Amino acid sequence: MAELDGRIAAITGGTRGIGRGIAEAFLREGAKVVISGRDAQSGARAVSEIDGGDAVHFVQGDVRIRADCDHLIDGTVARFGSIDILVNNAGGSSNHAQVAELTDEALEDALKYNLWSTFWCTRKALGYMIPQQWGRIINISSLEGKCGKPGVSIYVTAKHAVNGFTKACAHEVGRSGITVNSLCPGAIETDLMMSEGPRAAESMGMTYQQLLEWYAKDSAIKRLNEVEDVAVVALLLASEAGAGITGSLISIDGGAAPY
Amino acid sequence: MTMGKLDGKVAAITGGTRSIGRAIAEAFLREGAKVVVNGRDPVKGQAALDEIGAGDRAAFFAGDASEQTTVEGLVDFTIDRFGQLDIMVLNSGGVHQTAPVFQMSDEEWKLEIDWNLNHVFWGMRRALQHMIPRQCGRILVTSSVEGKLGKPGIPGYAATKHAVNGLVKAAAHEVGTLGITVNSILPGIIETDIVRATGPESAIAMGVGTYENMIGLFTQESAIKRPNKVEEVAAAAVLLASDAARNITGCMFPVDGGTMPY
Repeated sequence: MAELDGRIAAITGGTRGIGRGIAEAFLREGAKVVISGRDAQSGARAVSEIDGGDAVHFVQGDVRIRADCDHLIDGTVARFGSIDILVNNAGGSSNHAQVAELTDEALEDALKYNLWSTFWCTRKALGYMIPQQWGRIINISSLEGKCGKPGVSIYVTAKHAVNGFTKACAHEVGRSGITVNSLCPGAIETDLMMSEGPRAAESMGMTYQQLLEWYAKDSAIKRLNEVEDVAVVALLLASEAGAGITGSLISIDGGAAPY
Repeated sequence: MTMGKLDGKVAAITGGTRSIGRAIAEAFLREGAKVVVNGRDPVKGQAALDEIGAGDRAAFFAGDASEQTTVEGLVDFTIDRFGQLDIMVLNSGGVHQTAPVFQMSDEEWKLEIDWNLNHVFWGMRRALQHMIPRQCGRILVTSSVEGKLGKPGIPGYAATKHAVNGLVKAAAHEVGTLGITVNSILPGIIETDIVRATGPESAIAMGVGTYENMIGLFTQESAIKRPNKVEEVAAAAVLLASDAARNITGCMFPVDGGTMPY
């Protein structure tokens, strides 16, 4: 008996990186999984590589657009009959700068990408989860949802906001069989990190390599985290045994966060 | 037989004959580990082993976990019995005589420090001496929501559970590059035998009158509005003990139904 037999999950940004790792872990445990992403070709490639047969499905969409979030959740229910687990994983930020030089657009985009997307998908999914009195919402936050590195204030702000949303939402649905948690990973060298990291590092006044070393140095393990670290905790939260864990901001950061 | 998450691992658990420790022991055994459980009473220990029914894969070590000889003896016994120690679960703990600070006796204060804090230090030190040369290991400490909060009437418990969280963080950074993780689990209120036994008295010390009110005091702050379950803690313990959690350390892992604010 696998831990997620019969469960249906939707994962935003599930074609690569952390979302992809979680999708594969859920599939191994018997769940059916819908992954989303902006690019149809990348989606088709991911579905083919994951090789989960009928149990995995791709829905194209941009989480910065409300209609796309609604479409992902409705599409999951249309495809597999319900939605039990939502992983709000898509996120990131660009156009980093020191606060004195920051543009309105950079903050707005970071909030759209990390916070509004989480809100839209969660609101829509709760519409299905509350009547069925079972659900798991897993928000992929960050170590930066608890701490604050310079030069990336938009990301820090957005992830802190996601963590606040997590706590409030957990208390709203705590008696409805639904848990809401944030996972707070340290730096992981995902595709997104490799593409956005160098520019974030520049805004922080250092090289990309120095940025990675900073994260490793702050941890106890003196190395970066890995996608699988996040996937195993997501699996615990999604499982039946995860019923007693909610409103939590769980650090998966090799010991970096102070709390 | 399917692969367990803890195949080939050896674990020792203080206070493992009942409640949280017992649930962790049973979960570890299901995942393929060998387990030594500790408790004060040899008769209850044997009864627990009989109920667990894991044959040679489980053993019992008698002794009071608030005593150094017991905790260090448990580590030595486990290595002697099963050849190694991979997972040290420092789980025993509690209060004997609840009282607010102004009425707290030195004896009770010292006892809680020995039971909840020193026991964890003694066990961690002895286990690390064995684990560091082997460059692998897992230390798990059963802390509490009181490791971050502070309810009235249980000042020693709150103080020592905060203290073990500090110990966990410091130790995690000491051994972080040696393949050893050190984490604490912070459960919310669970209606364990010990809570049922000491609850009525705690309720009076905490100023809420009845046992039911005391349980309510904890659960009202949670999102799930119910106590946690030992199985929920055990599932988190299995995760943190597994190879998959090699990069999770220094973590105060919450299993509290949304009780703690941070």
